[in-house]
Amino acid sequence: MEQPTALLELKDFKVHFHASHEKTTVVKGVNLKIQPGEILGLVGESGCGKSVMSQSLMRLLEYSADVSYEGNILFDGQDILRMNPQELRKVRGNEIAMIFQDPMVSLNPVFTIGNQIEEVLKEHTRLSKKERKSRVLELLGLMEISEPARVSKQYPHELSGGMQQRAMIAIALACEPKLLIADEPTTALDVTTQAQIMKLLQKLNLELGMAILFITHDLGLVYESCHRAEVMYLGQTVESAPGRDLFELPKHPYTKGLAASIPSLTGARKEKLPVIPGIVPSLKENLGGCAFAKRCPYATEKCFQQIPPVFSIGEGRAIKCHYDIDQGVSLL
Amino acid sequence: MVKYIFKRLGSMVVILLIVSLFIFSIVYLIPGDAATAVLGMEASAEDIANFTARMGLDQPLWVQYGRWLGGILTGDFGDSIFMRRPVLEAIGEHLPPTVSLAIFAQLIALFLSLPAGIVAAYKKNTALDKGVLFFTLLGTVFPSFLLALFLMLFFSVQLMWFPVAGYSRLENGLWEHLRFLFLPALSLGIAQSALITRMTRASLLEVLHTSYIKTARAKGLREGKVVMKHALKNAGLPIITTIGQSFSVLITGAVVIESLFAIPGIGRLILNSISRRDLPIIQGIVLVVTVFYVVINIIIDLLYGAIDPRVRLDKE
Repeated sequence: MEQPTALLELKDFKVHFHASHEKTTVVKGVNLKIQPGEILGLVGESGCGKSVMSQSLMRLLEYSADVSYEGNILFDGQDILRMNPQELRKVRGNEIAMIFQDPMVSLNPVFTIGNQIEEVLKEHTRLSKKERKSRVLELLGLMEISEPARVSKQYPHELSGGMQQRAMIAIALACEPKLLIADEPTTALDVTTQAQIMKLLQKLNLELGMAILFITHDLGLVYESCHRAEVMYLGQTVESAPGRDLFELPKHPYTKGLAASIPSLTGARKEKLPVIPGIVPSLKENLGGCAFAKRCPYATEKCFQQIPPVFSIGEGRAIKCHYDIDQGVSLL
Repeated sequence: MVKYIFKRLGSMVVILLIVSLFIFSIVYLIPGDAATAVLGMEASAEDIANFTARMGLDQPLWVQYGRWLGGILTGDFGDSIFMRRPVLEAIGEHLPPTVSLAIFAQLIALFLSLPAGIVAAYKKNTALDKGVLFFTLLGTVFPSFLLALFLMLFFSVQLMWFPVAGYSRLENGLWEHLRFLFLPALSLGIAQSALITRMTRASLLEVLHTSYIKTARAKGLREGKVVMKHALKNAGLPIITTIGQSFSVLITGAVVIESLFAIPGIGRLILNSISRRDLPIIQGIVLVVTVFYVVINIIIDLLYGAIDPRVRLDKE
């Protein structure tokens, strides 16, 4: 975390939605860094703001909703929030690319795969038509698609879910971006395809040195593929740790809860799978203390009254909690 | 594709046969018998007998139908009772003004509605959008004949830019032709544009919320391309359907507008024929109009396939 040259750095980043004179803050001051070539996992349950955050990194929300931002999104030292539309277009698809949850609805149904990949190249490069065509085939090959020429002439509905997601990744990688934002890229796919897509993403990360912001609700995927991970709860990051540690040695009570609620295939069969009690509070609720206090089994008086700061707890780890539960000590 | 077209043409034959039955029965559906209806109450018994024999009305129904259908298949729609000339000739003479007017009105409607609908959808909930919606509402509720009268008053009487009424054949020069047709086409076009604008806006709004539009933006495309390429093509099907419907309405003759501007089109012909009880003409027009309807629908279906690859026309 101490490295000075982060590829992407969020500084106290907030996203507000405005609807009928009411302001709802969905992302409540996130600080995080992604280093070049790193796979950073962003974990959280539905409604924690991880999708909103990932989409606002390229400012994709402002077309369909009335949003405003606070803080900074520094990409290569440049603040994305202060870019004009032209500068923003040069970053999108070129330096930062994005893939989404459901490839079926993320690919335009009325254009061929080849056309949709070529379009990015046409926008951001000066390649000739012939060079673009061969680059399309090369990209599809890189995605381990066996018949690139045939697939490039096909329409999205003619492909399987896994192939569609490969085509999406090909679009994203067309201009060799420095950062790929993958918003639950495997959630809509079956387990076997999911494994293949994850392998492919890891391979591309290694071979192209491209950083990946991997958004998921699946701690297992984080364990397998992420260098580092941030856990998000109610619009804030509550824990930050190396990918494996997060799963094996969760520190924050919320992460502990998440890890405990994963069913295990080996080991003794428990009577009942532990769950985190309660539901995610409404974003509109004004919480005086820790956002998780209401559902936290370890919560004390203090947790309801004071918002915990972020404590660094060594080995590149940090939590937003008053206590180190494992040691049974207050961090202050 | 070719197979599909043949299949559709085959079903068109069936539709036309069914419609022909209805058209044929018009003669028997009007109150009283056809001879009296045509010749009037004062006709002598002798006249009626003559007419009945001449028109073959004394034959069994199926013989009459067979004869009529056989005539149509050989291009003989019978003769107009009032004008004493072949029906097809009379219709052929009145068709060009209506077709010209329909095309002109449709072009005006598209010219007004597509940009308005696209802008309204893109600038949703702004003053611009609300303005467009207000005008479409006005266009829907404001009768086109009233609009035509206002246009006439302003452009023809006050400014004297266009002739008040009348028609100039295309053979006499395109410019004159269009000058005479402009005001009627504008009145019809404005009325038709209201619906197309609303459909374009609604259809585009739906598409603009989809994930693939987000993908298009994430690719770094400019907004013009996102909307005009990625969104519009997907929003195309409902828009084209509406355009087809609107064209069908226009081609079947704008009775009121044609009368108002004294355009010798199909609308006028059918109006006159009804008041003259000229049954063969009425039957002929209904049949021709049916053919237009079916053909327009086939064209729309073919366009569906051309726009959206998921619409497979050849498959069973």
